[in-house]
Amino acid sequence: MKNSLYYPILFMIAVTVVFIAILASINYMLTDTIAFNQESELRQKILYIFDVLPENDDPQEIKRAFDEKIKQKTINDIEVYTLIENNQEAAYAVPINGPGLWGSINAYIGLNKDFTKIIGIEFITQSETPGLGGRISEDIYKNQFRNIDIEGAADGNYIISSPQPGSNVDAIAGATQTSSAVVKMINEDLNTFFESTGVR
Amino acid sequence: MIKKSEVKKIFKKGIYTENPVFVQVIGICSALAVTNLMMNSLIMGIALSFVTAFSCLTVSLLKSYTPKHIRMMVQVLIISSFVIIVDIYLKAYMPNMSKSLGPYVGLIITNCIIMGRAEGFAQANPPILSFLDGIASGLGYTLVLLMISSIREILGFGTVFGFQILPETITKWTLMVMPPSAFFILACIMWVTNNRRLKLERKGVEKR
Repeated sequence: MKNSLYYPILFMIAVTVVFIAILASINYMLTDTIAFNQESELRQKILYIFDVLPENDDPQEIKRAFDEKIKQKTINDIEVYTLIENNQEAAYAVPINGPGLWGSINAYIGLNKDFTKIIGIEFITQSETPGLGGRISEDIYKNQFRNIDIEGAADGNYIISSPQPGSNVDAIAGATQTSSAVVKMINEDLNTFFESTGVR
Repeated sequence: MIKKSEVKKIFKKGIYTENPVFVQVIGICSALAVTNLMMNSLIMGIALSFVTAFSCLTVSLLKSYTPKHIRMMVQVLIISSFVIIVDIYLKAYMPNMSKSLGPYVGLIITNCIIMGRAEGFAQANPPILSFLDGIASGLGYTLVLLMISSIREILGFGTVFGFQILPETITKWTLMVMPPSAFFILACIMWVTNNRRLKLERKGVEKR
């Protein structure tokens, strides 16, 4: 019987159905948890931009802090996150993206209330070389973007990377392309944002 | 009934005399990739043991119904199902671990240890023994991973499972954190153990 033409086909179908059923039910049960984890990661990153992370990184704690302090808002078709302090909008996180060395980089950049200062940056997705360009996700690089005055910036060059004169951010050694890609996407997208919204 | 001596033999083979990494030199890819931290190695080892054990169990249970010429297809289906279960579980309950292991969880599917055990042992042995064989092979793999990662983590970060054991002032050996160090350490460990094994074999001390 085993060598008949139909037995292997039927057997394969039966085994596949059984395993797919098991996988589908496990997936169904855990979808919510996984979605929550992913949202939690984004929440944590937005809180990081505004430098208002709660002390422990328990997902529930992060959700509470996020719900309390952050609101989503649309300025001229651009989805931004706003930090609410004393019932007033205190800072904004604006999405920026652009091509990196290997793939596109998506990030949010934090701006203060009157859009005169960059207060933080966080990368949502990036696929740069681990250990070189990938270090843009490390705190030592990201923390350079705290408190950069952009009011007097000339020609829309808000961020100038070392070793150019007047630099305000250090590039990563061995990752020149990634570093300039980040600078470029910040400058371009901030310009577009300011122009389209007319906030400045 | 399963004989105790048989179980003992299976474990001795999986962990030492036929250790998948040292002796059979399979499953190296992930052994090199996830050994920068001990915690990563431990989780990876547990995941692999789980997948190997349950895949072997299932393959062995189905072996008398499986037509010989499609057995590989069935095995791959079984293995990938268990890998997806592990992947979903890690994403749901250990999101940070899932992130740091990255694509290597999914790549357990291609780990030769599992296919090797399913094809080489489970196909011809009873379910419980196959299950134990899977655990033994997984354990052998885990132990090697832990050996490599302990050296890398201590020299690269000065920690063991995240606990600081060397003084904070120690100069960290950056190479140890990077992938090439895994090659050097794995080769050294293989050299030492194989040397020892061959010496014992020559003396005729080792009984199989």
